[in-house]
Amino acid sequence: MVHIPDGILPASVCVGGYAVTGLATWYSLRQISRQKDPTQDIPKAALMTAAFFVASSVSIPIPPASVHFILNGLMGTVLGYYTFPAMLVGLFFQAVMIGHGGLTTLGVNAAMMGIPALLAYHFFRSRYRLFNHPNARWAISVFGFLAGAIGLGLAAGIFYVLVVITIPSGFDLATERAAITGLTLAHLPLMIIEGVFTAMLMLFLWRVKPDLLERRG
Amino acid sequence: MRMTFDQYAHLTSPIHRWEPRLKLVGIAALIFAFAAVSDLRMLMPMLGVTGLLFGLSRLPGAFLLNRLRYPGYFLLGIVLVLPFLSGQTVIWQWGWLTVRQEGVLAMALVACRFLCIMTLTIVLLGTTPFLTTIKAMRSLGLPATLTDMTLLTYRYLYDIAEMLATMQQAMRLRGFRSRSQSKRFRRKDLQQFATLTGTLLIRSYEQSERVYKAMRLRGYNAQKPNLDTTQTGRVMIWDRFGLAASLSTAIGFVVLNLFLTLTPA
Repeated sequence: MVHIPDGILPASVCVGGYAVTGLATWYSLRQISRQKDPTQDIPKAALMTAAFFVASSVSIPIPPASVHFILNGLMGTVLGYYTFPAMLVGLFFQAVMIGHGGLTTLGVNAAMMGIPALLAYHFFRSRYRLFNHPNARWAISVFGFLAGAIGLGLAAGIFYVLVVITIPSGFDLATERAAITGLTLAHLPLMIIEGVFTAMLMLFLWRVKPDLLERRG
Repeated sequence: MRMTFDQYAHLTSPIHRWEPRLKLVGIAALIFAFAAVSDLRMLMPMLGVTGLLFGLSRLPGAFLLNRLRYPGYFLLGIVLVLPFLSGQTVIWQWGWLTVRQEGVLAMALVACRFLCIMTLTIVLLGTTPFLTTIKAMRSLGLPATLTDMTLLTYRYLYDIAEMLATMQQAMRLRGFRSRSQSKRFRRKDLQQFATLTGTLLIRSYEQSERVYKAMRLRGYNAQKPNLDTTQTGRVMIWDRFGLAASLSTAIGFVVLNLFLTLTPA
């Protein structure tokens, strides 16, 4: 799945994307300001944003091709309410530095990646309410897998809804449906791979630096 | 550390001299007005305004082409299917391959919008030092938390990329197979990449703790202004004129596009 570049979406969708992103950012900043010392986590969120930006550029060979992980589910579980501002900053740098995404579509892309990341964060936290042993190895594996898969799956879902509603009107309906179905099905293995990778990463983080997953838990 | 965008930020041109806050508002208005263009008759004026601003900026053409290359290929990959799948009016056919007029026009519209918006983005960011652009955003109302996060991410992005490159080199030196050598998927490889990514996150996290302590010792507090936004430049009459001209052009584009869309060709 890709970030949407400039020029593809109509202005109304771009403005709508900025409105949703503005609202989500406002909500996130409000939650952050309620913390005991809101400044404490700013450098952490910023450096983790840079780390996620760099980590998502790592090409992982899954023969016959190679994939780049989006890691938005993991970003949500690690950064909590800093996820949305971090996503906005990370996507801004991706747009201006490597031309991945764009300034007019920054709002849409941030909403597309950030809202699933926030949902993944809440989902990962829900294990504290559901189980007596939320930090058991299996719980972190299962919830880590689902957080990674949900992050990618929801972002892909939003992407295809946007493509369908903004697609040129002259498209043949059957071709359009076949293409959308094909692309959606193509994402199922990617969701599984992203989920497995996220679960592996979470188990590693839990073993080596549990603070990263526990602090906001 | 210098961002690649800062490479030509110290040239002398009317766009370079334009006060950063007014430039940000003026060019952003044009960018969004161009995103709203949906009538093909607006393409030539849009290309004209973009060409004029790029010419005034005196940025080298090679710089523009270099910045456009990667996203351009990417966009082409998306829109190249349009002439073959979108529309009913066949203008060329060879066997099963048909090129349709509506698809060609839709592709031209998307490609021109992309070219103009990307060029204006490059003019906006390429003619102002990045730090000045962030100061301008802050003085226009960007929240302090977002400003600080942007500046810190910018400061440490290359450090972390360098850290990753060192870790990957260490993996190769210890015998980890390079990408070109791997013929089949192994769970162990995925585990190695997860460990690599996890180590990168942990090292960044630990570095952030040291950075935060150093910042606190120097009096950091996000609630108080840390960034001097008064140094973005003095507003001259020409700056105001530039803003008025760009805002009028942007409004003109939106209104004219609406008029043309409602009026049959």
